[in-house]
Amino acid sequence: MALFLQRLVDGLSEGSIYALLALGLVIIYRGTGHLNFAQGEMALFSTYAVYQFGEWGVPIGLAVLMGMVVGFVLGAGTEVVLVRPISRKSPFAVFIVTIGLFQFLNWLDGALWGGQQLPSSAMGSTQGKFPSLFPNNPTDYFNVFGAAIKWQSFWMLVLVLVIGGGLYLMFNYTKLGLAMRAVASNSESSKLVGIRTGTVLMVSWGIAAAVGALGGVVYAGLTTNVNQSLMFSVFIYASAAATLGGFDSPGGAVVGGLAIGVIQNLVAGYADEWVGQQMKVGVAFLVILAVLLLRPAGLFGTSKVERV
Amino acid sequence: MTLFSARGLTAGYGPLKVLEGIDLEVNEGEIVVMLGANGAGKTTTMRAISGVIARHGEITFDGHNIQKVGPDAIVRAGIAQVPQGRGTFPELSVEDNLRAGAYVRRDGSGAVQADIDKWFELFPRLAERRSQRAGSLSGGEQQMLAIARALMSRPRLLLCDEPSMGLAPMITQELFQMIERLNRDEGLSVLLVEQNANLAMHMASRVYLLETGRIVASGTAAEIGADDTIRKAYLGF
Repeated sequence: MALFLQRLVDGLSEGSIYALLALGLVIIYRGTGHLNFAQGEMALFSTYAVYQFGEWGVPIGLAVLMGMVVGFVLGAGTEVVLVRPISRKSPFAVFIVTIGLFQFLNWLDGALWGGQQLPSSAMGSTQGKFPSLFPNNPTDYFNVFGAAIKWQSFWMLVLVLVIGGGLYLMFNYTKLGLAMRAVASNSESSKLVGIRTGTVLMVSWGIAAAVGALGGVVYAGLTTNVNQSLMFSVFIYASAAATLGGFDSPGGAVVGGLAIGVIQNLVAGYADEWVGQQMKVGVAFLVILAVLLLRPAGLFGTSKVERV
Repeated sequence: MTLFSARGLTAGYGPLKVLEGIDLEVNEGEIVVMLGANGAGKTTTMRAISGVIARHGEITFDGHNIQKVGPDAIVRAGIAQVPQGRGTFPELSVEDNLRAGAYVRRDGSGAVQADIDKWFELFPRLAERRSQRAGSLSGGEQQMLAIARALMSRPRLLLCDEPSMGLAPMITQELFQMIERLNRDEGLSVLLVEQNANLAMHMASRVYLLETGRIVASGTAAEIGADDTIRKAYLGF
């Protein structure tokens, strides 16, 4: 029981990171129909930025907010400078562009912060460890039914529920949310009711990248190994989460992310001999495959049906 | 008094020029009908007026030049469009469709809600389906919704792009009666394009005839109806 609970909570906390990145994927997909392949790398760049702010002595809470601003600007800028002009010519090319951006940002991280694990004394880091939003010392845990639950895991789950709930309220009860849903539903009609669709898409990309940035920095606090490849597998899990939840459903992204985290940890935990830690990523692929075969729109996604 | 006027309006898609420079006017309180066959440029005219495609020419509304402004400013100025094929937001609820129609308004959510209730009273079938997705409505209901959505911005000029398309004749008639009533009771000016001329002619103050991007005839409904060639070609009797 204690072991099961432990794995469940570990799964939920890892899943909340996938959920945050999946939320970003879903926000962009809903608005434009594009899969942002660079979502993970945008998050990593913002995470490195948080590290840099830490180097400059900015307290962690403020540094994370600033990192989210960096993410927002990066996302919004990408929409205006790259996505908008290119999608006018060919929507498919946007996907290729986001792959290019994925590579560019990863290269840029290396160029700015060196290739090795951070913080590194060789780089002259003044911080002993990567800045973490939540307490992540070995002693920061509490006991529930004999399972040691890290405070960090607890707060991560709270965070993803707060962000998911906040986005839900924004989508359904604010003017910006209404505009975002309208643009996703019918771009031409959005223009005809006076919505500036360009601004809405720019803000959507910004919000998506800011939420992703939060996912990145929280993940950096969870893992002790922050390097350039940090987000590679996370991006795959986030894609699996969005596929499972439904690519146009923010709520589905949260449920999908948590579910992928739990499935992965339970499978790797209980079927260690033949799945094991190294093959965890295979579980995500199996989930993607099964969803696409059985329920292509995902658990909460809408398959488009319209009377004419 | 002239509410809307376009002089030498040209528009098209990339290298393809659809409108070859048309002159068009809508006076305050008029219902102006533009007739034309498929491909004459009716929808292009509407999209050009709303500013969702690039256009050139001298375009004024209520004495202001609106040639260079974007689609959002055009809606704010008081021109709303019911696009061809209804153009509702299928994934949004009926009520959210109406709320989106009020996007440019700055008079608070109370006033917007009051308008929503007003249109629900006028279109009871929409009221019954207020929380349903717009995509699940019938064609006629969607057309009503599209009109109500356009009216939510409190326009002075309503552009209607082939509202009869795909609707049963009875429903079309009901729809046109509704438009006439809005014109009479609310002083709404209307520019309506149609392929199916018979019904539209009855309520028109004036008629334009559009043929391959050019206006080939214009006049009062009576004048146009009296012209034998035009009647045979467009009215079919």
